[in-house]
Amino acid sequence: MSKIPVTVLTGFLGSGKTTLLNRILREEHGKRIAVIENEFGEIGIDQALVINADEEVFEMNNGCICCTVRGDLIRILTSLMKRRDKFDHVLVETTGMADPGPVAQTFFVDDELRELFKLDSIVTLVDAKHVQLHLEDSSECQEQIAFADVIVLNKTDLVSSEELNALERRIRAMNAVAKLQRARNADVPIADVLDVGGFDLERAMAHKPTFLTPEYPFEWSGSYALNEGRYELNLAEGPDPSMDVVVQMLGPSEEAQAPAALERAVRTWAEDIREIRPGAELAPGAEGPFRLLLDAPGLKHFSLRVPSASRVGIYTQHLPTEFSLQLTHAGAIIAALSEREFAAGHSHDAEVTSVGIHLEPAIDGDRLNQWLSQLLRDQGTDIFRMKGILNIRGSEKRFVFQGVHMLFDGREDRAWGDGARASDLVFIGRNLDREQLIRGFSQCVA
Amino acid sequence: MRGLTHEAAPTPARTELPRLWSFQAGEYVTALECSPDGSACLVGLGDGTLLALDLASGGELFRVRALDAGILALAVSPDSRFIALGGQSPRGAIWTTTGESVRALPSGSAAWIEHVAWSPRGQRLATAGGRNVRIWTDSGDPVVETEPLASSATGLAWRSDGTALATSCYGGVHVLPFAARAKQRHLAWKGSLISLAWSPDGKIIACGSQDASVHFWRLASGRDSEMSGYPFKPKALAWDRESKLLATSGDAVVTVWDFRGKGPEGTKPLQLAAHRGVCTRLAFSPHGSTLASGSQDTSVLLWDPRRGSKPTRFAFLDDEVTALKWHPARPLLLGADASGRIAAWHASRG
Repeated sequence: MSKIPVTVLTGFLGSGKTTLLNRILREEHGKRIAVIENEFGEIGIDQALVINADEEVFEMNNGCICCTVRGDLIRILTSLMKRRDKFDHVLVETTGMADPGPVAQTFFVDDELRELFKLDSIVTLVDAKHVQLHLEDSSECQEQIAFADVIVLNKTDLVSSEELNALERRIRAMNAVAKLQRARNADVPIADVLDVGGFDLERAMAHKPTFLTPEYPFEWSGSYALNEGRYELNLAEGPDPSMDVVVQMLGPSEEAQAPAALERAVRTWAEDIREIRPGAELAPGAEGPFRLLLDAPGLKHFSLRVPSASRVGIYTQHLPTEFSLQLTHAGAIIAALSEREFAAGHSHDAEVTSVGIHLEPAIDGDRLNQWLSQLLRDQGTDIFRMKGILNIRGSEKRFVFQGVHMLFDGREDRAWGDGARASDLVFIGRNLDREQLIRGFSQCVA
Repeated sequence: MRGLTHEAAPTPARTELPRLWSFQAGEYVTALECSPDGSACLVGLGDGTLLALDLASGGELFRVRALDAGILALAVSPDSRFIALGGQSPRGAIWTTTGESVRALPSGSAAWIEHVAWSPRGQRLATAGGRNVRIWTDSGDPVVETEPLASSATGLAWRSDGTALATSCYGGVHVLPFAARAKQRHLAWKGSLISLAWSPDGKIIACGSQDASVHFWRLASGRDSEMSGYPFKPKALAWDRESKLLATSGDAVVTVWDFRGKGPEGTKPLQLAAHRGVCTRLAFSPHGSTLASGSQDTSVLLWDPRRGSKPTRFAFLDDEVTALKWHPARPLLLGADASGRIAAWHASRG
């Protein structure tokens, strides 16, 4: 018996949910769809079964703090199965402010629904013009984006292309694996929202190049052309009592933000840190980063000795502006030839981000289980979605799994065959500690 | 993963139940009742059809499209004259047992009417749709509507003497009195109750819960207990006629709690294991201590839980068992399944 796919439609009021729903229902796609609506609409379509239901979010009494489910969905969908020959797809529309967690969890937690239905995807509509108002301070809005398998960036005609690009980058940083679709009037191809197999990981993992864009441990880099001599690094009072800095020599025409230079900087960053107090000296090409101790009041000076004329790259843990950082020589301010800021996931703790981990060595199943159980116990409320294709030692098949909060489902998938075996794991959540996740997963290597 | 298989036959009980008749209704059977006078079998189907069969022969008496959407609830009035129906529609209906429409029963909201129950003497009909519980006269005139419940009703049952009506939902059970000076009660429990069974002696209300437990309240003392550890949410509940045994289904195993003596708290329940699929329906015989159980694996088994934990009789339908009812007076068992198969079996020798 094949399971009936379920699409969950979320989005704030005015994001275009009803428009999309109407299009899905009116378009010729040969499917009979059962729609479970939570706001009264005026939809009356022959080929669809539209059911109104009040969202009834139930807490399970089993001690699992994030086990909330939608009781109305359990009752309605179980009862709809008694006429299963009459529909082949279910669409659940949530209210504007709904947290998608309980809807998604319902399909994992309930015994009957798990046997009868499969969650195909969570589709989130975003109003390109008004979402900015909610992105910062609405946890519902952030969660709707974080949970999504497909994000429809709607009403794109109401914003400039720069705004749109910036918004897309912002959303991509929150949810690296969702499929992003631009639309004006919710006019996305139906095939891109129904049967997308959001929980089929092939598609999600096709985004790997994007989500694996490395995050850097520093927020800023600058390139300088310096002569032999002594320079001064001056810092005023800033938000933190210390700041880590890497100073490295660059090639004759190399920029600090060139990929090879960045890679060297990241390596240096991972070495042992040397703490230094104001007045002490930094030298380019040191084996590790310097930690500038900044707890003294007022302006702090560190000296930088350049052994011979060269291009030098400076990489800072925080933005230089936060400490009014200046590089001076004989009292004159030296400007950077070029500079770049890096979005650092670790710096905005409460933000929703994605962490993707790619690991080639085979994983030990037991260790993975232990690690994940502990992780979900500790951070299950903050981890919204989790997806992975795993290379498990001793198995010829790929192990695919995905989860919602603390609940996850995994199974063996097709054989690896001749392709390269590797594990890809993605977390989407709040307060994610990338380093800690990478360390934890790496310790599962068999 | 939960031992849900469909291919295997249950552990053979000694003998197969002799089949009196069988009928193919052609649609998912969602509800089935015997008329109290023992003459007809009334069946609700997934497409809204109400079907009446002659109980002795299995011959079709009438077939009408009683609701415009699937029937979910069906109850026959104690005088065997009326049938109350609820379904996947905000309008239920009353029909006569001879196939005439009497009137519609609106739920009062957009919610489906999922439960209907006649009071034991038949003067009142209760319907539950969404958070609203409505009481009607036997001719279908509205009497009263309760305050909206905290969430949708999941179970509805009258006390056997008709003096109170119990409704289960998320957060507990509401007991509405129909007797002078009696007070409304709320049996609170933080959890989602999904089924309700009131013991025939009126002393205990038992509920299955979404988080795989059975909760019950002793009404005299107000003491409540939780029996947990089920691998599956217990949807099917049945009391024996003496109100001493409560049969509950978790997965394929039927768990029977014994209320004799100090139990069932602290006692080990009787575990009836022979079905290979989730047990979906339970019914104690009204004239003995025989328990009938039906399963997703198409099997129907009879048990005598006071004597032992092995099935005594078996039968099969064609698909998941969706209804099991005993004849009110004779040892006759009726069952139906998701394919539309309806069957009657003699259960006399046992």
